[in-house]
Amino acid sequence: MKFRNIQTIISREYMTRVKKKSFLLVTFLGPIFFAAMCILPSIIMLMTEDKGKTVGVIDQSGIVMPKMVDNDAFTFKDYSSEPVDEMKDKFEDLGLDVLVAVSALDEQNRTVSVSAYSRQPLSMDLKEAISSRVDDAVEDYRLSLYEISDLKQIMKDVRSNVNIATYTLDDSGEEKISSSEVYMMISMILSIIIYMFIAMFSGMVMQSVIEEKSSRVVEVLVSSVKATELMFGKIIGVACVALTQFFLWVVLTVVLVTGVSTFVGFDTILSTSTDQTEQMTKMVEGMGIDAEAAMEASGMNMADMTAVADSEMGAVLSTLRELNYVQLIIAFVIYFALGYLLYASFFAAIGSAVENEADTQQLQIPVTIPLLLAFFIAIYAFKSPDSAVVFWGSMIPFTSPIVMLARIPFGVPTWELVVSILLLVLTFFLCAWASAKIYKIGILMFGKKTTFKDLWKWLKQN
Amino acid sequence: MGIIQCTNVCKSFGEKVALDNVSVDIPEGKIFGLLGPNGAGKTTLIRIINRITIPNSGSVLFKGKPITQDDVEKIGYLPEERGLYRKMKVGEQAMYFAQLKGMSQREAMVELKKWFVRFGIESWWNKKVEELSKGMAQKVQFITTVVHKPSLLILDEPFSGFDPVNAQVIREEILRLKAEGSTIILSTHNMESVEELCDNIALINKSHVVITGGVNEIRHKYGNNNVELIYTSDQALSAAEGVFTILSDTDDMGRHTAVLSIGEGKGSNDVLTALLSQNLTVNSFKELVPRMNDIFIKLVTEEE
Repeated sequence: MKFRNIQTIISREYMTRVKKKSFLLVTFLGPIFFAAMCILPSIIMLMTEDKGKTVGVIDQSGIVMPKMVDNDAFTFKDYSSEPVDEMKDKFEDLGLDVLVAVSALDEQNRTVSVSAYSRQPLSMDLKEAISSRVDDAVEDYRLSLYEISDLKQIMKDVRSNVNIATYTLDDSGEEKISSSEVYMMISMILSIIIYMFIAMFSGMVMQSVIEEKSSRVVEVLVSSVKATELMFGKIIGVACVALTQFFLWVVLTVVLVTGVSTFVGFDTILSTSTDQTEQMTKMVEGMGIDAEAAMEASGMNMADMTAVADSEMGAVLSTLRELNYVQLIIAFVIYFALGYLLYASFFAAIGSAVENEADTQQLQIPVTIPLLLAFFIAIYAFKSPDSAVVFWGSMIPFTSPIVMLARIPFGVPTWELVVSILLLVLTFFLCAWASAKIYKIGILMFGKKTTFKDLWKWLKQN
Repeated sequence: MGIIQCTNVCKSFGEKVALDNVSVDIPEGKIFGLLGPNGAGKTTLIRIINRITIPNSGSVLFKGKPITQDDVEKIGYLPEERGLYRKMKVGEQAMYFAQLKGMSQREAMVELKKWFVRFGIESWWNKKVEELSKGMAQKVQFITTVVHKPSLLILDEPFSGFDPVNAQVIREEILRLKAEGSTIILSTHNMESVEELCDNIALINKSHVVITGGVNEIRHKYGNNNVELIYTSDQALSAAEGVFTILSDTDDMGRHTAVLSIGEGKGSNDVLTALLSQNLTVNSFKELVPRMNDIFIKLVTEEE
């Protein structure tokens, strides 16, 4: 093999792709999309927050109005003495944003019906606020029907909300508070991305092989360079495209997220996702006596609340902080590179055996099945990263790139990583050798549709 | 000694034998015609010379030494099935092929510009191949084949797809390259261009070489001892027993054109001597050499 030739091929494969409009589009729109995914929910929450809405209440049941406690966002005003129809016409003139009509108590079903009128559709928050207050009132009413003294107190007493604090022990025996949900999320995102990347870019290699074959460029090429040089040049060239895209995505996403957050001044955007604990505690403190009352109603005390906040949000936070991003990125690059090389060499061999993309269907099956299988095992790995299926899936080279990456956020012993990578490298060399043999013969075969039997024959030929 | 010497080359694909004990010697600085019906094994032989395919047995020598991958840089190959990257720009593409043949970037640029100017196609440099017509793309492909000054040029049906004007341009380029010292292997079904351009040929049929040698020798070898005689006379010529027989004689107002078959053991001089005794004026007397086309058909059909 001549390095010079491979270099020339790599640079052509790389440049033609990187200069394409579609590549630029995906590379630059991708991070905008990712950043939007990170930022938008917070922005939407900030923008749509209801501020100072006044709600007029016509309470014909007599039990709801006392529960309509004002808070920062909503003020409730009593119009129980007014008729509903009349109010509907003039509630806006009275400076009300929403009119809520509560029916008289339905003694038989022990409930009330509620209607809300407004110009704009009711926000989720307001709807939630009204419905929780009405529920509260109805529950209290029903409790009172049992005529047991102290029932309210008893109910409050038995209500329970136990939280599990999860810790992971590292090799040094140090306890780390962790959130398995975060691991699941990271694991899911990583395995989806690596699956997409492997499938997308090795598919690209196949397409490019087919293009060269069907346009007959290949015969000129192999009269200048060896078929194996051509195949590996192409595979490596496309890999460089993939890595370029990945790094641009990582860098641009980070730049965008931090840039937008600081520029627009939405300190809160980041804090909503990273500093939830503090916020939560502050909120709880700030709520003061009103909050006390509200919590009493929901059957929780302040200590409970802070404990929940500490254990859940704190765990998310600490998990996010503790995550070794450098390790994750390195693992992604290694497993992507190896997994891609393995599959791309298969796809190159398949591409060489056909004359147009429509003929690839049948030949692709044995290659796409392990790839899909890997993806399904990875999904299973989000839920139980330590199961036997997942362990073997992360060792067997055809599934390991995707499954191992799904495991990595949960922590994987070093020896397992080493074994899995070694197996993958070994398998790659074996498969690349076989693929190159098929490729060499395949690219010059025209006319007859290739079958698996042909591939086997080519493999045995020299 | 030839630039390429193939000795007892055999190649089979599974059951199918493509080349069976093929030996050809391609002399340096000449144009060598590689002839044969479709499927005879010409492309396989070309691919073996190019090292695209490795033979099962036999040897291929390039300038007297077993051919290596490095020698491939000294070969230019124009396959019968032309192909360029459709979406790539003409200039970039030509640069790519030139670099794969071992040229440096600067060298390739200089040489390519020269060729583009020679063909008057400088303005195509930044066009995509898909914007070119078939003939235009063929020209570009021809340039990419010869730009690295190969000492051996393999052209498979080089004139297909060209109009007569451009075909003439290519013909002249081939002769010019020959004059500059390149050896050219010309594989074609166009027997006229074989007669016009080739010094030597090899005819391959059903996986083996049927005949190989100089074009003139072969044509004379397959001449069946006929001569064409143009004469003026009032009456038709009569055959001379044992010396010649008359195959045909047409009379155009006293000017006759006849084809004579020379008898066994006799020569042109015997015929002329015999003619002197007859009352006629000889205007022209020439040996009839068979066309390559006829030899091709004869040899290929005889084998069947």
